[in-house]
Amino acid sequence: MNHAAVVLATAIAGAGVGATPLLAQQSMGERLPVREVVLENGMTVLVLPREGAPTVSFVVRFGVGGVHEHLGTTGIAHLLEHMLFKGTNSIGTRDVAAERRLFVQMDATHDTLLLARAAADASRVSALEARIEMLEDSARAFVLPNELDRILTEAGARGMNATTSSEATTYFVELPANRAELWFALESDRMSRPVFREFYTERNVVIEERRMRVETEPGGLLYEAHLASAFTMHPYGVPVVGYMSDLQTLSRRDVEAYYRRFYGPDNAVVAVVGDVDPDQVEGWARQYFADIPRGEAPPPVLAVEPPQRGERRVTVEWDAEPRLRIGWHVPSGLDDDAAAIAMLGSVLTGGRTSRLHRRLVMDEQLVTGVYASTGPGTLFPQLFQIDAIPRSGRSIELVEAAIYEEIERLVATGPEERELEQVRNQVEAGNVRRMTSNLGLAFQIADSQSLLGDWRETFRWSELLDSVAAEDVRRIAARYLVESNRTVAVLRRPGS
Amino acid sequence: MVRSTYLFGFTLGAAVLAWAPLVVSGQTPNVREAIEALVYDPLEWSPPAPERHEVSGVTALLLEDRTLPLVTVLASFRGGYGLFGRDQYAATMGLPALLRYGGTATASPDSVELLLEFYAMQTSFQSGGVSMGSTLNTLTGQLDESLGLWWELISDPGFDEDQIEIWRGRELERVLRRADDPGGLAYSAFNRLLYGDHSIGWELDAEDLAPDRTTPEQFRQIHARIFCRENLTLGVAGDIAWDDARPRLERLVRALAPCPEALTASAIPEIRRGGGVYLMERDLEQAVIIMAHPTSVRLADETQFFAATMGNAILGGGGFSSRILQRVRSDEGYAYSASSLWTTPRRYDGLIGAITRTSPENAVPAIDVILGTMDQMRTSTPSAGELKTAVDRIVNGYVFNFQAPEQIVQRMMLYVSGELPDDWLERYAEGVQEVTTDDIRQVFADHLRPEEMTILVVGDPDRIGRDALARLGPVTVLEPQTPN
Repeated sequence: MNHAAVVLATAIAGAGVGATPLLAQQSMGERLPVREVVLENGMTVLVLPREGAPTVSFVVRFGVGGVHEHLGTTGIAHLLEHMLFKGTNSIGTRDVAAERRLFVQMDATHDTLLLARAAADASRVSALEARIEMLEDSARAFVLPNELDRILTEAGARGMNATTSSEATTYFVELPANRAELWFALESDRMSRPVFREFYTERNVVIEERRMRVETEPGGLLYEAHLASAFTMHPYGVPVVGYMSDLQTLSRRDVEAYYRRFYGPDNAVVAVVGDVDPDQVEGWARQYFADIPRGEAPPPVLAVEPPQRGERRVTVEWDAEPRLRIGWHVPSGLDDDAAAIAMLGSVLTGGRTSRLHRRLVMDEQLVTGVYASTGPGTLFPQLFQIDAIPRSGRSIELVEAAIYEEIERLVATGPEERELEQVRNQVEAGNVRRMTSNLGLAFQIADSQSLLGDWRETFRWSELLDSVAAEDVRRIAARYLVESNRTVAVLRRPGS
Repeated sequence: MVRSTYLFGFTLGAAVLAWAPLVVSGQTPNVREAIEALVYDPLEWSPPAPERHEVSGVTALLLEDRTLPLVTVLASFRGGYGLFGRDQYAATMGLPALLRYGGTATASPDSVELLLEFYAMQTSFQSGGVSMGSTLNTLTGQLDESLGLWWELISDPGFDEDQIEIWRGRELERVLRRADDPGGLAYSAFNRLLYGDHSIGWELDAEDLAPDRTTPEQFRQIHARIFCRENLTLGVAGDIAWDDARPRLERLVRALAPCPEALTASAIPEIRRGGGVYLMERDLEQAVIIMAHPTSVRLADETQFFAATMGNAILGGGGFSSRILQRVRSDEGYAYSASSLWTTPRRYDGLIGAITRTSPENAVPAIDVILGTMDQMRTSTPSAGELKTAVDRIVNGYVFNFQAPEQIVQRMMLYVSGELPDDWLERYAEGVQEVTTDDIRQVFADHLRPEEMTILVVGDPDRIGRDALARLGPVTVLEPQTPN
């Protein structure tokens, strides 16, 4: 153990968390006093009381995302995320029965609209779109717009939002601690009785979100093209925001069916972190959530990406400065090699003294930035990715060649022990810094519980990194970062 | 004092349960009624306040917090690009990056990197129009090593020529890539339109980044004017007591040279008035819309300011609870995001306006909706419910101003450098509670003039509709600035 590691260990040991000889072997994170409650319906609730300002952070993570979609319904998990802010049987409505009567007419009109579109009957399409708009306006007369947001805003809430990824949809908000019960009342209502009102208007909002994040954003375009090329079979290749043509055809019934299948309490992990009494939180969890029936068992993702047998290259032409993205297929984030893969990324681009940064950014000034990551998910075999932003006048080919040379050098000699030690120190310090945020901790333990089945696993990551040897890094680089296993995506100006 | 029913008393776990479980067989519960029946105990809690000290003539704030073995040290210096000429703009803008990456007089950039990464210290350097700042976050056990290295970066920088060149190349690349981001392009063009050649409207260009404007000597000159004793305010938060902090802070102050001369205040900007419609043609799937005009409401402890902030929250600054997002997104489905802005600088006029992005075909309809929504704000009072939502957010969410010790210290440092009273946050919370719906209508009637908006649209004119755009007023086509 080097000096820095000794300092860290001493500092952490002195952090004031009570320790027995057994516990002393655990990390600071593993010793957090998290109460784990599993309700009869399978919902897991994690409660972590923390001193500090009287605030509390709530995270609900559903194990559903882009991988649970297929062509024709891409973007449905994300659209559902939007729809769950639209209220319930009682929140957001003056007369839910009247709304539902109009939903039936709207949805039937939408079915007809899809047929008219398929028949390329433009005048009928236009008339049907106008009718849907008219019906939605009629239904709006019964809507109390954004009431969920208003209730939470008036309670002093901060940061209410949600995010959808390949494997999870996560809802989060922070509240003053004395209003914690309000969250249980609203969230249990949302989980069990949502109403997908203003559906077709919100679908248009999601279409605008896609335009903003993908269709007017060079990085978004390149990312989408790269994943689609790298994954020919596995749903990791499908954009979480959805393809435009799918977004234009998704129906309310599609979203309702998807909700029923994936939003059961047994597919949810709740994390409550902040100035709360665990007994009281457990009581509220049982009171508000326990009677929600289990959901259907989500179908497993059985698609397996076949081995890549040769380099793939894709070019995106767009009126923007060039970008480069390279991805190699690697095992999932749950694999025994995951820590070595993470270490490889840090050795290559983690910090200014890392290999690729030093050569490409500092010494040869070929790029303004170079970044390694893994993605787009965790649960399934994924990509080890390198993104680079070439400097003006430097050819992409030159940048690409330099990246491959550095990888070959790493494969030939392996990383130095100093490089690994540096990464471990950064991870240790990061573990302490993450303790500063209630919301950050809530995300961390909810993700860990949902993905890995144990909230403590996230805090064991540094142990796994500690166990990575230089030879492990060299071995996985040699095994996976090879030409036949890579997909290269380039964004260029047309005609360049 | 903040609204009495929300006094900061906190009794853990004492909130009162006032209603039956949600799911009752055969019944659909009315959750709205149920949550209205919930009763919340007041938060019995005292917000932590930093101690205020003086160290060799420098104000130093300390908030001790022993929760984690971490110490954050913050340094704020008066001086930013707004206080220097355009010929020194690049060197002033680049100063934070070069302090961080340019090495020191005794340590090469590489050595600094190795030490920073080895000790896993976190540093950040920021610059603004009138101030610069830096933050160190370190484990308590490494405080002395970290503090020494951090302050050497600040007080005795190396301005390594290779690092300057790397920074310059990166900034030139940013200039080139500015056009890749339609939002960034729109903001740049809009700032130039409204602020002309005032520093608020500046953006780095190739001329600024010429080698003779970015020499080590240029950086040293600017550094000497800003990073000197009289410009400094210090803050400390975390795992340290004042008796331990004081000698360390004294060493920091002593290591700084006195300021050669005081910096003069920035010029008052002359903001474009009179409005107009501007188009920057770009073949894009989405149009970016920015509109604004100047207003004279200033940040001050007076009704007009509080009415403006609450009014902006109702108009479009309050997310889903505000009118613009409600109309543009929830009602019409035109955009993913839409908001208003109402800036209130202390020394000069601010702006009132709005921002959104939508499909080109919906650009003019979205502008119409926004202008119509604005017009309503000056002709009729908002509802009591809208004002309640805006005020309750501030009052009930007051505790979120005290989530992290460094956040509290940093805010107090801003008050010190901005010459605001120490209790400004409390005054603000009181001030917004005194605003009436009539105050809000009056402040909009006095200061909002939709017909005087300068409206910029970046997008495809054929899809936006040239005639539709012209209906808003004579359209001036702007050429994107071509990087040289």
